[in-house]
Amino acid sequence: MTALEVRDLRKRFRAVTAVDGISFTVGDGEVVGLLGPNGAGKTTTLHMVLGLITPDEGTVALFGKDLQRCRTEVLSRVNFAASYVSMPGVLQVDELLNVFAHLYGLRRPRRRVAELIDLLDLGPLRRQQFRFLSSGQQTRVQLAKALLNEPGLLVLDEPTANLDPDIGDRVRAMLLDLAARSGRAMLITSHNMREVERMCDRIHFVQSGRIVATGSAGELAGEYGVADLEEVFLKVARG
Amino acid sequence: MLAWEVRRRRVVGVVLRDLYSLRHNPPRMIEVFFWPTLELVLWGYVSLFLASQQVPAVVAVLLGGVLLWQVLYRSQGELSMAFLDDVWSRNLLNTFVTPLTTGEYLTGLLLFGALKTTLGAAMMSLLALALYGFGILSIGPALVPFMVLLVLMGWALGVIAIATVLRFGASAQVIAWILSFVFQPFAAVFYPVSILPAPMQAIAALVPASYVFENLRTLLTGGRPDWSDLVVAAALDAVYVVVALVYLAAALRYARRRGRLSRFGD
Repeated sequence: MTALEVRDLRKRFRAVTAVDGISFTVGDGEVVGLLGPNGAGKTTTLHMVLGLITPDEGTVALFGKDLQRCRTEVLSRVNFAASYVSMPGVLQVDELLNVFAHLYGLRRPRRRVAELIDLLDLGPLRRQQFRFLSSGQQTRVQLAKALLNEPGLLVLDEPTANLDPDIGDRVRAMLLDLAARSGRAMLITSHNMREVERMCDRIHFVQSGRIVATGSAGELAGEYGVADLEEVFLKVARG
Repeated sequence: MLAWEVRRRRVVGVVLRDLYSLRHNPPRMIEVFFWPTLELVLWGYVSLFLASQQVPAVVAVLLGGVLLWQVLYRSQGELSMAFLDDVWSRNLLNTFVTPLTTGEYLTGLLLFGALKTTLGAAMMSLLALALYGFGILSIGPALVPFMVLLVLMGWALGVIAIATVLRFGASAQVIAWILSFVFQPFAAVFYPVSILPAPMQAIAALVPASYVFENLRTLLTGGRPDWSDLVVAAALDAVYVVVALVYLAAALRYARRRGRLSRFGD
């Protein structure tokens, strides 16, 4: 089954066209990346997928169901993490995860929280308040939150943007491991070309609200006659 | 799993978030008691002074007004603050991408707000009794409808404050602090509606709290409450609640359409 089907999405903010007819799918277990320069429309697209922004035109279907009509049902199978979103700083790690486990209506919230604390090696941090954690630790907590409901689609907006190369690499390895083990579909945006190369089965280049190129990292490099994705990025971004 | 059971869990999630937050934030706990206590002490001594000047029933009237005004004010304030907590902690996007419905979110905020309002009101009532010999229960059975009517108006104003922040962005959050006070002169908390000029009386007639405070004074000065007044107040409350919910739904639609919800993550 297709985890996500986006069809002909359009969004204008006054005179600015943020998204201009984007269509793509994310299959079960597939990791899809949206690449593009700042202001290309990547985050607006993700936020339309998550129901935070209503599209002017087009549809978003999650697991075959329309997001607008079946919002509560489909959002219980999706989760999200982003570098620009935080969490209530005074709450302890285990409390935060317990709160979100309840918000996702999980049947055994404490058990699931314990599993994720184990999986993401958060044991020593479980009684720490979120505000006192380092960026890397906060990202791990955000990812634990994003995995609470065992989402069929995980939406990650620049998940490693605030991390140093070492922690960023560990997080990527962990996400890849999760994708391989659970067959979880992922939709990712990132400015880190190596991250996208390493993680994504398919990449959509977005520019001025449109998808201008699609393929695997190797296919895109071949198509543009360059060595790697970074050069593809520069070539596309500079026209 | 039954749908209502899942709903219950999501509401519990909202309550838990606020409960944990309060537990780790002692200054918030102080706030629950500080302002009500301060108001009570100030107005208590003002009323004692006026009583010494032979103004009849002044202690009961002023203290009753202070106590019941706090019920309205805290009901609105706690609801708005719980929402603003999500804004300030940049957690709003995390909350809005969960399957939580607007109704469940509001229910969770209301439950926790009601708990804090009850704690504050109980503390004030005990202090009023200890310091000035004024027992809130002397109001009698009418206390129940009085409280319900004020809580409903406070909740409606709280929802309006939330909707305004969603509609106009975080910079509009000042509304959360001032909205109750906009209504205070018309609510006739400390004076009768008849003392207001005619245009203000016309506005007061549209404020549910004015009927409560008028009847509170009547009752504390030996009269009997006019139940038809309370029916009018209940009808007005119903209008306030419906208007608030419609405004919230419209503000949420607007925020989603204009991308304002996304900007709460900035």
